[in-house]
Amino acid sequence: MISLATKNAERFLLADIPVLGRDAFCASVTEGLSEGMRLISLFPLRDDAPEKLAAVLAETSSAGLHIVAGDFSGRMELESFTPRFPHANYLECELAERHGYTIHAHPRLRPVRSRTFPGGAAYDPCRLEGDEVHEVAVGPIHAGVIEPGHFRFQCHGELVYSLEILLGYQHRGIEALFAGASPEKRVLLAESIAGDTAVGHAYAHCKAIEHLSGAHLPFRAQIIRSIAEELERIAMHLSGLIGVSNDIGLAIGASSYGRLRTLVINSLAELCGSRFGRGLFVYGGVRFDVSRETAGRVIEKLETVRRDVTEINDFLFSSTGALLRFEHTGVVTKETAAQIGMVGFAARASGVEMDTRTHRPYGAYRYFPVPLLTIGSGDVFSRSRLRAMEIDESLRFVFEQLENLPGGEFRVPVPPISPGSGAVSLVEGWRGEIVHSVFTDESGGIMQYRVKDPSFCNWWGLSMALRKTAISDFPVCNKSFDLSYAGHDL
Amino acid sequence: MIDAMKLRILQGDPIVHDVHGAVMPELYRGLPSIDAGSCPGGCRRCEDACPTRAIRTAPLRVDLGVCVFCPRCAEACPQKKIRFTADYHLAASDRNALVVDASTAAIRPEKAEKKIRSYFGRSLKLRQVSAGGCNGCELELNALGNVNFDMGRYGIDFVASPRHADGIVITGPITENMADALELCYEAVPRPRIVILCGACAISGGVFADSSKLQRRFLETTRADLYVPGCPPHPLTFITGVLDWLDRKS
Repeated sequence: MISLATKNAERFLLADIPVLGRDAFCASVTEGLSEGMRLISLFPLRDDAPEKLAAVLAETSSAGLHIVAGDFSGRMELESFTPRFPHANYLECELAERHGYTIHAHPRLRPVRSRTFPGGAAYDPCRLEGDEVHEVAVGPIHAGVIEPGHFRFQCHGELVYSLEILLGYQHRGIEALFAGASPEKRVLLAESIAGDTAVGHAYAHCKAIEHLSGAHLPFRAQIIRSIAEELERIAMHLSGLIGVSNDIGLAIGASSYGRLRTLVINSLAELCGSRFGRGLFVYGGVRFDVSRETAGRVIEKLETVRRDVTEINDFLFSSTGALLRFEHTGVVTKETAAQIGMVGFAARASGVEMDTRTHRPYGAYRYFPVPLLTIGSGDVFSRSRLRAMEIDESLRFVFEQLENLPGGEFRVPVPPISPGSGAVSLVEGWRGEIVHSVFTDESGGIMQYRVKDPSFCNWWGLSMALRKTAISDFPVCNKSFDLSYAGHDL
Repeated sequence: MIDAMKLRILQGDPIVHDVHGAVMPELYRGLPSIDAGSCPGGCRRCEDACPTRAIRTAPLRVDLGVCVFCPRCAEACPQKKIRFTADYHLAASDRNALVVDASTAAIRPEKAEKKIRSYFGRSLKLRQVSAGGCNGCELELNALGNVNFDMGRYGIDFVASPRHADGIVITGPITENMADALELCYEAVPRPRIVILCGACAISGGVFADSSKLQRRFLETTRADLYVPGCPPHPLTFITGVLDWLDRKS
């Protein structure tokens, strides 16, 4: 395929991105997709000139990334890639919605961050007709303390035939805020994309900016960053286990995991003052060093977590009642997961081998690999069991790093950002692959900033999981995916 | 069942017994303490460093309704005039009380009016509305129901329906896409009803104040009863704020 070949967060010159005519662009992208690459981003080089469109593709058998641009001046129309490559679906819908592209032959165009198409026409979800058929609508406001989204179920008796998920309620326009933001504010914006993934998004952002500046981070800083990332992973996987326990009515499980999650987020607070890791990441490293005493306090908390989580996991995963609810519920096959472009632990729980820490290692993961874990059954059980296993691996990683912190600096100054450059920075957030694509203009300011949160890929997985599933299993399926509304809506 | 009992024993006694006297981690950033005394002429390093424009000089003051409690102002000040303390009591019932200067020793809400205290002092049911929140505030509000904070012991719970609620807790800067849902939800709450703004985004738009995708008209016509600063507010900030506002001896 004709493209600029690059890697995770590698700096490139914008001028090196080939800008092809529309047909050559489509042919190039099709060639990449046919070789098994994943389309991970699709956006204009500049929002104020949307005719020049960039596509970012990720190789599946190597760490390579490819970028190619197309010039659609005069006619912003595209033949849909979705019929042959379903995972392109929402990227194309987003392109139509945000930049007015016409997507020909898309199987079902729909708004991504609104209930209406641009121009105001309402979007109607698929309707099921027939006897004993009913439609259930939930949201935007949900029963619990949780972000808003609209779920439209088409049911026949108790079984769901189709679930459509309509989001956009959390749309804050965060990407557009990066361009005009001071460097101080940019990290804060990244931390606020999804508050439960402050570390993951801050990491992807800082990595992009540091590579664009040619900065080299000291080893100690890389290690501290990865400790924070794994603490976030443990905390949110515990949150997921709280959720699935709660939704099957297992209060002792939910409250036990809850106690442990407090210990983990208080550990993050020991590192930087915030239970969510806010304020830790700065350009060039981390804001606070980890002293022996701090490491000691964190290790003490995590020892309790390590000891107790084993007991609670044994309890949950040998409970007949829990297994009855979890097993064979909300199944997404490996084939479906791969086809629709799922990422992260939800994909791994359907047997798809995919983890940025292993496949596109960055920072400390280059030197300390984390095992890639998969379970094949693709049900609520496997998504939950896999998260319990990832907690164990992350704990192992954090202990190893805290007990062997290398000497050296924890923060270095960062040179100015290169003008006319770009970087595509990927990180394995606790949900999955986070992608931050950054382009700079001639003065080194930010010209384009695009974020793909793993939830953007995975909401479709939840819809698929609900097919032929009892509607009463929706809450536990939803919690087993544990997706971000804010991360999707941006 | 024996296994469940073993887990219960393993839980131990995790509750924070004294919500007003908890010890925070060393790096926790609570109420800022500002040294009296003038800043060298024209120095505005803190103002320039603040990502949300929460801090102003001459006189030096921080608006906690805008502050996200990052430490950039404290780092930028060449005279170290600003220091974040471990005091997590930050909530106020008067928006102006959130502006902290050198004379501020502590912040407490004014007591709620007698009728509110009488109705809700021992039983307060709240409906939370996520109006563009990033999920940080949502997670901390959920934590209030866990075994460490257990706000249920004070008769405070989150409820599923606005019809069952005594008031709403708003998180998030109020996006355009949530503006109607928020108003519908509030209208469905029977009177008397209260409004709590939780987090910098709800109070002032926070990180998103400059976004063109917000619609905050709800707050122009509806007065908030309690402001809880933070990004996100620590559960103890929320619970001590509500208890003090209701004049509960906890």
